[in-house]
Amino acid sequence: MYLEVRGNRTYAATGGKEFDNGLPTVMFVHGSGLDHRSWALQTRWFAYNGYSVLAPDLPGHSLSAGKPLTSIEDMGAWLAEFIRAAGADSVHAVGHSQGFLDVLELARQAPELLKSITGIGTAGAIPVNPALIDAAADNAGAAAEMLLMWGFGPDAQYGVSAVPGMQPIAIGRQIMARNPLYEDLVACNEYHNGSTVAKGIDLPSQLILARKDLLTPVKAGLAFAEELNARVTIIERYGHMLPIEAPRQTLDKLRELIGGLERSARGNK
Amino acid sequence: MSRASYLKPDTVALHAGYVPESDHGSRAVPIYQTTSYVFESVSDGSSLFNVEQGGHIYSRITNPTVAVLEQRIAALEGGSGAICTASGMSALFTAFITLCSAGDHLVSATQIYGSTATLLKHTIKRLGIECSFIPINDEQALRDAIQPNTKMVFCESIGNPGLEIADIPAISAIAHEAGIPLVVDATFATPSLCRPIDHGADIVVHSVTKWMGGHGVAIGGAIVDGGRFDWAQSGRFPELTEPYAPFHGIRFWEEFGPSALAMKMRAESMRDVGAAMSPHNAFLILQGIETLNLRMKQHVANARQLLEWLQQQESVIWTNYPDMESNPSHTLAATLFPQGAGSMLCFGVVGGRAGGAAFIDSLQLASNLANVGDARTLVLHPASTTHSRLTVADMKAAGISEDMIRVSVGIEDIADIKADFMRGFKAAQRVERAA
Repeated sequence: MYLEVRGNRTYAATGGKEFDNGLPTVMFVHGSGLDHRSWALQTRWFAYNGYSVLAPDLPGHSLSAGKPLTSIEDMGAWLAEFIRAAGADSVHAVGHSQGFLDVLELARQAPELLKSITGIGTAGAIPVNPALIDAAADNAGAAAEMLLMWGFGPDAQYGVSAVPGMQPIAIGRQIMARNPLYEDLVACNEYHNGSTVAKGIDLPSQLILARKDLLTPVKAGLAFAEELNARVTIIERYGHMLPIEAPRQTLDKLRELIGGLERSARGNK
Repeated sequence: MSRASYLKPDTVALHAGYVPESDHGSRAVPIYQTTSYVFESVSDGSSLFNVEQGGHIYSRITNPTVAVLEQRIAALEGGSGAICTASGMSALFTAFITLCSAGDHLVSATQIYGSTATLLKHTIKRLGIECSFIPINDEQALRDAIQPNTKMVFCESIGNPGLEIADIPAISAIAHEAGIPLVVDATFATPSLCRPIDHGADIVVHSVTKWMGGHGVAIGGAIVDGGRFDWAQSGRFPELTEPYAPFHGIRFWEEFGPSALAMKMRAESMRDVGAAMSPHNAFLILQGIETLNLRMKQHVANARQLLEWLQQQESVIWTNYPDMESNPSHTLAATLFPQGAGSMLCFGVVGGRAGGAAFIDSLQLASNLANVGDARTLVLHPASTTHSRLTVADMKAAGISEDMIRVSVGIEDIADIKADFMRGFKAAQRVERAA
């Protein structure tokens, strides 16, 4: 669906069903240079199983208009405006990589909009190699190549796909080629508040980490999970692009936490 | 360059799409000879049917062995995904009907395979889809032929059997200016010699029966979605951008972006038309692809040597090979096919039609049959076989003459191929002397 946020036409995938604010809502936030399609194999399940889904393209990404945002703090603020513009009361927020930093900032700035937070392939800070940032400034395509080479785990590098017949690296490349990677990477690199923010968060939290993640190594994720007091799952053999590489395992973990919280909420009514 | 893998092409040909499965560690790709797949639960089945997760339901739509082949071909071509079909013709039909509906139009090169010409001229016309034919590299004719309802430009990277080279960069630029995709049948080149997506093509089609499989043992086709065409910006493809009723109003472009076309073909054509590749054929073609690059080097080397030798034979009236220096396509061929423009060549033999027949009938090593791209050398007389349904005028437009002998040069020792052809020339000379 399309809606107006900060005066810009903004796209949000709804998993193939119309958004209904009467249902529990799950919001998915994409990572650097990516878009809502990172979540193709999670959003439809939630939309067709009792939830409403919002998976926005951040400003300037794929189907959303506007200039790209330049700080994680502003992305968090934008997400709060987005949720209000969509008419959702509160959401289960799921963020991949940089998208989880955005969710952390959302939690700091507008905790009343959140029911739970989940980070996938992420940590409390995501320092970016200066060579990658330089590459993104000079040649976004070359930077995208680096991210894809490091971002996808061994199976995807061998052309294995969770969706029969598809090539995830080529798909990721096409999406990144059209999106503002440089601004996203700089915003990631300059965000250092994760640990501080984590201390103030009082929400059900989980991190889903990938054993073969070269961009946000498991070690960093585990350390942050401790700070956040989050439940943790490590998915073996896959890389940083978990929602695409291991969509089913990722979905299962999301269902466990979000489904459990919703069942408890219904039980308490 | 379009890329789906960071492995080198020789490695992609051997490995892409498969890592040893966890139950038994089978090094070779297993043949999943099954029609269907057990669901873990009703809910699991439901989510598979509703494209909520990837996986297999029924082998008409996907099959694990076929999926490996699809992923390998997509990786070789640098595409976002591929769909394999029962034959090259069903791959073309799938591409045409996925992009075109009744009332639509497409532009095709004249210099194409005879059955493809028949499909475009007669079969899809019955479905209300019109086709205009133009000389392949006539840019003005192409611009003039594009209409408001045109949905694609189609050509073969190397025309069959005339061996014309399509100027893919120029053709794609014109197509893209008009907001339509370029579909290229790349059967004669294979990704070993030319990757059309790198040069601007949007969709690549193959008869994998030919050099990809390479051994003449299995029929199959493939369609590769380049993933780069912006279906929404074009504004001509509501089938991909508007809700699709049979899947709860799914919008393929919004949901899948670079793989929208491949997902649509899977969801619609494989379901409704059912031209599925068998898992056994997929396995056989995978065996061929493992040695594709090695074979193509030898095919090209033999073709070049045979051409040089043919040009010295008194019984040969003319020869044609895309990157021979006297060919108008030479420069273009050298640019698009730096490793060689395939292993098809044509020549005219003395004695006219009867001389050609005598030549073919006397061969022992080369096989007279309606196929190309086998590891073995194959010969054919197009005017009396593959293109026999065309009028003389259409045949001429397609670059075919009555004395044409089409050769798919194999990877035998070149000395044996020459010795066999010498036998044929003697037979043709006898016919000429008798006349």
